[in-house]
Amino acid sequence: MSDGDYDYLIKFLALGDSGVGKTSFLYQYTDGKFNSKFITTVGIDFREKRVVYKSNGPDGASGRGQRIHVQLWDTAGQERFRSLTTAFFRDAMGFLLLFDLTNEQSFLNVRNWMSQLQMHAYCENPDIVLCGNKCDLQEQRAVSEVEARELAEKYGIPYFETSAANGQFVSEAVDVLLDLIMKRMERCVDKSWIPDGTVRSNGHSGHEDIMEPKSSEKGKCAC
Amino acid sequence: MASKPVWEQIGAGFVQHYFQQFDSDRTKLADLYTDASCLTWEGIGYQGNKAIMEKITSLPFQSIQHSITAQDHQPTPDSCVMSMVMGQLKADADQVMGFQQTFLLKNVDNKWICTNEMFRLALHNFGA
Repeated sequence: MSDGDYDYLIKFLALGDSGVGKTSFLYQYTDGKFNSKFITTVGIDFREKRVVYKSNGPDGASGRGQRIHVQLWDTAGQERFRSLTTAFFRDAMGFLLLFDLTNEQSFLNVRNWMSQLQMHAYCENPDIVLCGNKCDLQEQRAVSEVEARELAEKYGIPYFETSAANGQFVSEAVDVLLDLIMKRMERCVDKSWIPDGTVRSNGHSGHEDIMEPKSSEKGKCAC
Repeated sequence: MASKPVWEQIGAGFVQHYFQQFDSDRTKLADLYTDASCLTWEGIGYQGNKAIMEKITSLPFQSIQHSITAQDHQPTPDSCVMSMVMGQLKADADQVMGFQQTFLLKNVDNKWICTNEMFRLALHNFGA
């Protein structure tokens, strides 16, 4: 998995209150499994997955597939002991912001996470996907889909109701985030805003290759 | 047990008491700090009983368990005891994390209090 055979390395960061299911969510995405036992391995702090991204040309023809190496970073729960620092946020290109549909407080705290992101991420409007997790626990639901969608709309970010337990919309949420990021890269004429290390091209010589203008603004995403 | 140096006994006794209180009812730790005590918690400094207790009691978890892996104690030139603890902790249902904590203990009016304390999680890949 860690061999160098890819075009871009993109780092995602999973955020949200403790207990909303960040680790399980990432585990479900990379391994397609739910691990209900909590993972006690100290030192594993990110998971990886290789995906192929295809952007479509203006004529609808699909372009060359780009091999993306996605790194998904998790917190270790250190946010209970200290605030997450700028250093923690700054290397991430995209953010999965999770809350627990059965825990209203975790939903109310989305606001705080958003302002932390706006403060510490590489720019004021980074790409974020909001996920209401644990949607399989319908009878314990404490946050309605309507209010969650309203909040996401207010911030102008996509929203998914996900289940790390059964996998519902987990990969869709990550795919949409990847799509937003690839589109951002294609869109930007002046790419100087891209922080060092967030996007790394592989086997190419420097920025020109990353910034190579793509044929279109139109990607595969339907959102 | 009797052959252990006195600073070992004092340090080990303190560590046992401290973490037992921390895990059962953190508010009771107030007895250990004076207005001159200093705490550095993940790089942020707090001075005085009130500020220290505010920090400790406001940590956002319902339950916490500490497990001490190793501890070392030394006497200092001014008759204090310096203690270093290495261990693991688990807050609510989070994953287990390593931590290190250092204490300086002083005898004031026949009672051991904590004049200095430093805490760090043993995490290395999450930025400063």
